[in-house]
Amino acid sequence: MKSKKDVQPGTLALMVLKTLDVLGPLHGYGIARRIEQISGDLLFVNQGTLYPVLLRLEQEGAVDSDWGPSENNRRARFYRLTRAGRKLLDAEKRDWEKTAAIIARFFEVKAEDLA
Amino acid sequence: MKTLSRFLIRLRNLVTGRRGDQRLREELEEHAALQTEENVRAGMLPDEARRQARLKLGGVESVREQYHAEEGLPLLEHLLYDLRFGLRQMKKSPGFAATAVLTLALGIGGVTAVFSVVYAVLLRPLPYPEASRLVVLHEAMAHFGGAANLSAPDVPVYQRNSHAFTAVAGFIGEGYDVTGAGEPFRADAERVSAQMFPVLGVAPLLGRSFTRQEDESSAAVAVISYSLWKERFGGSQDVLGRTIDLDLRPYTIIGVMPRGYDTPSGMGAIAAHALWVPLSLTPSEMKDEADDLDYGAVARLKPGVTMAQAQQDAERVLKIIQAKVPEAHLSISLAGLKEQTVESARPLLRILLGAVVLILLIACANLANLLLVRAAGRRREFGVRMALGAARKTMLRQLLMESLLLSAAGGAVGLGAAAAAVHWAGAVLPDSLPRLGEIGIDWPVALLAVGLVGMTGVACGMAPALASAKADVLDSLREGGQATGRGRGQHRLRSALVVAEMALALLLLVGAGLLLRSFARMMETNPGFVPERTVTASVALPKQAYPTQKKVDEFFRNLGERLQELPGVKAVGFGSNIPVIGLNSGRLFAAQDYVRRPDESFSIASNYLTAGEYFRSLKIPLIEGRYFDAADDAPGAPLVAIISQSLAKRYFAGRDPVGMHIKVGPNYQYPMPPMRVVGVVGDVSDNPVDRKQDTEMYEPLSQLAADLGPMGAMIGTQGDMHAVVRTTGDPEALEGELRRVVHQADPTLAVTDVQTMEEVVFSTQAPRRFNTWVLTAFAAVALGLALLGIYGVLASSVTERTREIAIRMALGATRGDVERRTLGHAMMLGVAGVVVGLAASLALTRYLASLLYEVKPLDGLTLAGSVAVLLACAVLAGWLPSRRAASVDPMQTLRSE
Repeated sequence: MKSKKDVQPGTLALMVLKTLDVLGPLHGYGIARRIEQISGDLLFVNQGTLYPVLLRLEQEGAVDSDWGPSENNRRARFYRLTRAGRKLLDAEKRDWEKTAAIIARFFEVKAEDLA
Repeated sequence: MKTLSRFLIRLRNLVTGRRGDQRLREELEEHAALQTEENVRAGMLPDEARRQARLKLGGVESVREQYHAEEGLPLLEHLLYDLRFGLRQMKKSPGFAATAVLTLALGIGGVTAVFSVVYAVLLRPLPYPEASRLVVLHEAMAHFGGAANLSAPDVPVYQRNSHAFTAVAGFIGEGYDVTGAGEPFRADAERVSAQMFPVLGVAPLLGRSFTRQEDESSAAVAVISYSLWKERFGGSQDVLGRTIDLDLRPYTIIGVMPRGYDTPSGMGAIAAHALWVPLSLTPSEMKDEADDLDYGAVARLKPGVTMAQAQQDAERVLKIIQAKVPEAHLSISLAGLKEQTVESARPLLRILLGAVVLILLIACANLANLLLVRAAGRRREFGVRMALGAARKTMLRQLLMESLLLSAAGGAVGLGAAAAAVHWAGAVLPDSLPRLGEIGIDWPVALLAVGLVGMTGVACGMAPALASAKADVLDSLREGGQATGRGRGQHRLRSALVVAEMALALLLLVGAGLLLRSFARMMETNPGFVPERTVTASVALPKQAYPTQKKVDEFFRNLGERLQELPGVKAVGFGSNIPVIGLNSGRLFAAQDYVRRPDESFSIASNYLTAGEYFRSLKIPLIEGRYFDAADDAPGAPLVAIISQSLAKRYFAGRDPVGMHIKVGPNYQYPMPPMRVVGVVGDVSDNPVDRKQDTEMYEPLSQLAADLGPMGAMIGTQGDMHAVVRTTGDPEALEGELRRVVHQADPTLAVTDVQTMEEVVFSTQAPRRFNTWVLTAFAAVALGLALLGIYGVLASSVTERTREIAIRMALGATRGDVERRTLGHAMMLGVAGVVVGLAASLALTRYLASLLYEVKPLDGLTLAGSVAVLLACAVLAGWLPSRRAASVDPMQTLRSE
């Protein structure tokens, strides 16, 4: 059995924001599918947990939502990134990259480098 | 910003109850539908496709909960939920809730109310800058009473010769008839040295205070109080320079003092006065040789001077005085003004405080007991809830909320009661408590009390919860909520709490008992006269209108005759003083042939100048000789005096006093005319009857000047008299008549203090009545709480032991046996409480000694009575549970198990 990783807290929101940034307005299922595809099925997400995250982002003003027709012409809630959301994404992205860079340097360090 | 706006959205959702439930459900539906379609496209059968979609979506309920949590404010919501739960629990057991709230309220309310009074009287600073540097000077005569004030001539001696003080200020209270400022009225005024204002360190609000020069030259200037300024002069700025007439003499107003400027008055009190005029001691006052220790002196310590140094300095000055009047055996002592103002109230307040602490302890013990009993009763509930998966944290949180609810309710009720009590105390407390005007509820203290008792409530509420939470779930379920083995320790704790409560209650009972006995003793004490059917009133003749004693005498003779004509009047008399009000003007006297011990000071008696039928109007019994009669008032009549029985016994021991002589003055060799003792009358109480008594001597008012011989001319007149009228009818009906007749005689006179002698006596009993009442009320509360405590423990013990009792009965125990056993338990608790309580009483009642009157702190009767009351209460508290124990039906109980 292929091992799946749980999503680290906070990262799900970042993934949502990036997905909406790349693909434009999407409904919840669409977002979930994309995250699954991009993470290459390595991430284990109870897809339901997406909705509380979306609600929080909406309350923060990072996303906006409205009803619209889905692919099969039923009603679905579509989410899109707002300007504030784009700014938030940029900030989060920089943070994330900085963290990643620091961690990466720790892994690269060898004993002789510190001598 | 972001957090705030999110909070606001959530708060709005919470308040409006708006829920995105519908939206979420729809979104999840759609999500599942899309996933299912995808699964079908991937080749799954429809059912399997739907199942997989659901699985992938995860638990809908948990998502909803998360969603919900994002939507509202979970913390607040839980709190509200717990609150509702707590309220429901309280509603479910109203008896418990009411008892707990009442217990808390009593503790909090009592502590807050009494603390507020104590704080206002004891701890709040005096209204003067650096008040701790203010001291009061007291002189005392050897073997005669305690520390008193100074005699008039000594005031300037200290003023001139002491080095330890920035200044010394003398003062004496004075009443004036004020005219020329609206309606005439009688003003409580004070004659003070010019130094009074700088010594106290308070500057006038308007104008200036008087100068030393004005003081020495007897200038007619007055400084008025803020309230007089507002009431009589409308607070107008041009009051300065206006004149008011004090006893018909015009005084110029030169200053107005700020609001709340109270001045020292008499012995250890701070009081409001309407106005102040220069002390300007008169020549006759300056002649008073140490017989009238009435003049107060307050001084401010120089910077760096200690109390001990000041005392030495004062003693050095005293030597100058002693050289003049060695016989007085005077001593001088200093006291801090602040200590002085609260000294008289301190024993009472300390005892009130002690009583409240006891009540608080009892309340805490009771509350702990209540909560313990309740927790024991709820073990099964906790067991069931834990078995059903309730988190320990949640349960603790709910219990905490319950405890907090109880504490809050108790606190609210308690504070309400405290506010009412403090308000009421201001009206009811005896005037002898200094600075009563400053009492208000004291919030820091109130919060402290709420915090303290609230913490007890929470701690006691949580302790059982923690114990229950630790308890084995299965155990508590298996036992069916019946306490067995493990409950025993808890039971012992509860019994100990009840014993402690009983002991504390006994302590309060003993205290209250002692005060009640003192009160009864006071009521039994014969004041030496018959207060029933007698009316009294003060009539003060202004010196300007009645400049000679002859005029004064004529007025009172005339007034007496007019009053005598009123229907029902039996006797009319006048006295410069009346009994029990404690207005003694002590007078130096010398008895013929009496030899003083070498270290004995002057002989002093309470002095009553009388006119008319003073003795008959008060029914003071004649022991020997005769009363004064009209012949004594005739010009040139031989000088006469009447003495009280105890004066006769002490100074004319073994001889017949009638026919002997006494003189006014420090010794019998003094050049004063001898007065012939014509009668001996019964002792009367000069002070309220529960205070130390003096001896009395009476002189006819008309002989006042002659009695003083060479000094008679200087003494002036005595126009301040108390009328005493005895009637056969209702004395209260006479009050209006009395006023009317006085006004007929002279319409300009102020008639004050019109009341029946019974009212006079009653009001002098007020302080003791108050002490007694308060401590008795406290004892009753304590007893009630202790009763509840015993009842609670026994009742729960019977409930827990129903099965045991049933088995006993099945094995042959009679109902009587069961009843006796339960009652025996009650008695055991009671007896244990009595033993501990008695030990505490033996150790502590001596602190009550200063409040007792003719009762010893270890009064056997009181102790026995208190023990009996407590044990009776224990039996009473045990009665109901014992009846319930006896009514257990063994068959039914055992079958239902």
